[in-house]
Amino acid sequence: MRRPVVMAFLALIVTTPKAHSQDIGIAIERRLAESARLVVGDTVRVATDTGLGARAIVRAIYEPAPDPATIMRRDYHVRFELADLASLLGQPDRVDRFGVVLQAGIDPDTAAARLDRTAFGFSVFSSERIAAGSSTTFLVVSRFHRAIAVISIIASAIFLLCLMLLKVEERRADVAVLRLTGISRRTVFISLVIEAAVIALVGSALGVVMAAGASALTNWHYQGAFETSLHFSIMTLSTIAFAVALSVTLGIVAGAAAAWRLVGTPPMILWRRG
Amino acid sequence: MNWRWALRDLARHRLRTALSLAGIAVAAALLLDMMMLSGGLERSFEKLLLSRGYQLRVTPKGTLPFDTEATMGGASDLVARIRAEPGVAEAGAMLATSVHALAGAARRSLVAYGVDPTAQGFYVLETGTDLDPSHPDAILLGLPAAAIVGARIGDTVEIAGRLDPQVGVASGTRRMVVRGTARFLYDARDQPSVAVTLGTAQALAGRSARDRASVIMVRVGDDSAAASVAGHLRERIPEVGVSSIGEMVVQFRTRLSYFRQLSLILGLIALVVTVLLVGTLLAITVNEQIGVIATLRAIGVARRSVFLYVMQQGLALTVVGSAAGLVLGIITARWLDAILTSFPGLPASISFFVAEPGSLLRAAVVLLITGVIAGLPPSWRAMHAPVAATLRSDAL
Amino acid sequence: MTPIIEARDVARVHALRGHSVEALRGVSLKVRAGEHLAITGPSGSGKSTLLTLLGGLERPTSGDVLVQGRSLATLDDRLLTRLRLEQVGFVFQRFHLLPVLTARENVELPMAEMRVSSRERKERAEELLAYVGLSGRSGHRPTELSGGEMQRVAIARALANRPAILLADEPTGELDMATGQAILDLFDRLNRDGMTMVVVTHDDRLAERAQRVVRMLDGQITN
Repeated sequence: MRRPVVMAFLALIVTTPKAHSQDIGIAIERRLAESARLVVGDTVRVATDTGLGARAIVRAIYEPAPDPATIMRRDYHVRFELADLASLLGQPDRVDRFGVVLQAGIDPDTAAARLDRTAFGFSVFSSERIAAGSSTTFLVVSRFHRAIAVISIIASAIFLLCLMLLKVEERRADVAVLRLTGISRRTVFISLVIEAAVIALVGSALGVVMAAGASALTNWHYQGAFETSLHFSIMTLSTIAFAVALSVTLGIVAGAAAAWRLVGTPPMILWRRG
Repeated sequence: MNWRWALRDLARHRLRTALSLAGIAVAAALLLDMMMLSGGLERSFEKLLLSRGYQLRVTPKGTLPFDTEATMGGASDLVARIRAEPGVAEAGAMLATSVHALAGAARRSLVAYGVDPTAQGFYVLETGTDLDPSHPDAILLGLPAAAIVGARIGDTVEIAGRLDPQVGVASGTRRMVVRGTARFLYDARDQPSVAVTLGTAQALAGRSARDRASVIMVRVGDDSAAASVAGHLRERIPEVGVSSIGEMVVQFRTRLSYFRQLSLILGLIALVVTVLLVGTLLAITVNEQIGVIATLRAIGVARRSVFLYVMQQGLALTVVGSAAGLVLGIITARWLDAILTSFPGLPASISFFVAEPGSLLRAAVVLLITGVIAGLPPSWRAMHAPVAATLRSDAL
Repeated sequence: MTPIIEARDVARVHALRGHSVEALRGVSLKVRAGEHLAITGPSGSGKSTLLTLLGGLERPTSGDVLVQGRSLATLDDRLLTRLRLEQVGFVFQRFHLLPVLTARENVELPMAEMRVSSRERKERAEELLAYVGLSGRSGHRPTELSGGEMQRVAIARALANRPAILLADEPTGELDMATGQAILDLFDRLNRDGMTMVVVTHDDRLAERAQRVVRMLDGQITN
């Protein structure tokens, strides 16, 4: 559905700060105030391309709620009284939408469906449905992130397996000596797996610390770039738990697989190859 | 010391080599995908913008085409002024508006493009006959719209421009004849669009839309003069916005800077993974074979040959892994593209991942260089292994 | 007659974790062309260190080594490597054959380094393997050979570029009695064919076969 937008072209000319009785009051967003160096009480002229214009006084400067949907756009927003804007646009008694508050106990979807059936010339949606519809962009981004995460996890898993295999195989000569001196397969296997587990745990802990740093850096960068307080990266307990569980499991499995290969090889062959 | 021996050394440890190759392949695939992503969307967008040969867009001041519902007044005068400018070969106005197809009690919303059929860049006629200014009641249907209204070429459809909720009537109703079907270049998937003449669209939209346009497409005679014509138009007609393809692409790039940054970060990570994999494998190989390497040096094999022997293994891993990875990358790119092109409102013809020979070649070169860099430390270590000391410790 | 190898008052100090170890202290030695010299002594006496200095694998801390009248001190690493490739053959206790190459390919290796043509390399390698008694095993990898066979391949490799000198460090160290015997016989044959040989060994049998025995203790020659 098209996002309803009403745009007014602003020709900003700061005049002497003397209020006229016909002046309309506007509220401007902080970014616009900083960019045009406006403060509360300043007078500006607002006009559309049809040449209609009006003097307006800045009555307030506001910080818009962080909205991921508009973060990439760098539009400036201005708030008017409805009547003032309608008059400015030369379209009295026209709006893009109504907001409707239902009485307690009324189901929004049922009410929307009923109104929609009887409506002519407009459509009715529950807020939840609009939120779902306008979230499509983020759902797509989420799916994309998940896809990238899947690829990254596969790459990391292979990398981890390879490294653990190499590290354990490096111990070939040690394993040969242990086996030749009578240490049982079981003991050697368990000790190698414990080593692998320790490496995996310590590595995972380091990874969590690095991820926290990267997450903080990401938020710092994008919050500065887009002048917003939105969080672009959030580390939750569940994501940490998932990542640690996966990496520790993979590390132990990889170490165990490599250790199994080694203890299964006759010690003399291990010795000779080493 | 030659390639075959280096390859045999890799083949000797099948599992570790296979895992390394798999890791390099996935990293290479990710790198290729990120290279395709970093420029693909812009190239795709640019290609779309230029598909009908119009290099400039004139829009309401401060907006980009299709960005808002704002329109420009005095469209016919604007078009005449633009056409009169030197360097301009053609100009055509378009008004986008919502219309409704009426079928008994049912009303279906459609997007209508009101165009000048002699100068339009919004659709490609697929079947039937194009619009004609002398036939204002002609309409072209996109396939989704045709499916919604259930009409074919020659059918008559009832189109309303406005639905007045206060009095409960549809006003600006016209009976229109379907002359053909069209593919709308800027439409999102399944967007139900129709094309009518500009005057018809303005009439359907009501009095407030009289002589208004959403965008004016401008074709410049000489491609290389597009930027200067744009500048000239801005000076001469300051009340509107003029954007060249390049400027629109820049704006587009800014809006989608997230993907460029993501592609850079993930691309770098892929390279780091490749370096670590190849470097670690070679380092461990050198460690294992240090005694052999020292003996080779002792019997007269030059440092250079030892260096190359180790490097060859690294390069072999990188080349084979990367080749597999580039193929994998093309497959994963399709998957990722299918996800991203489901963005609402995105023109269906846009791709995020564009597979071009240039991207493939760049990825291959970067991977090769990475393989060389990864192989340098262990190769260096091998060639500088202290021969006698190594032989002494090895004898223990 | 000019000795083929000469060590002039060479000393070698190893730096090991902050300590200095005097492996050799003022050793002088001359080896005639065609001579079979054995160097014996207990572990740590400096025998292997002396061998590495004679072959240009290390540089002495003081003194000089001359090979065929040429001072090794005047040669850079590249020329020393070339010397080992063309004029000196090395055999070690641990054979250090490339496991991915066949016996023949291992023997070809030094010739490949000399850019000898493939056909010529192959012929010479087969010749050398026959010389050392391995004509039927040229296509086998080291993992398919016994210890004695691997050492014979290593000897064939050392002879690939027709060196004037063969330096061997404990060539029978990892071999059993019978296998070691075969190596001793091979060494005899090489020497009869004119090879100058300097062999470091603990093996009395090998020392007995030499024309001259030099005994070392604490980094010095004692006889």
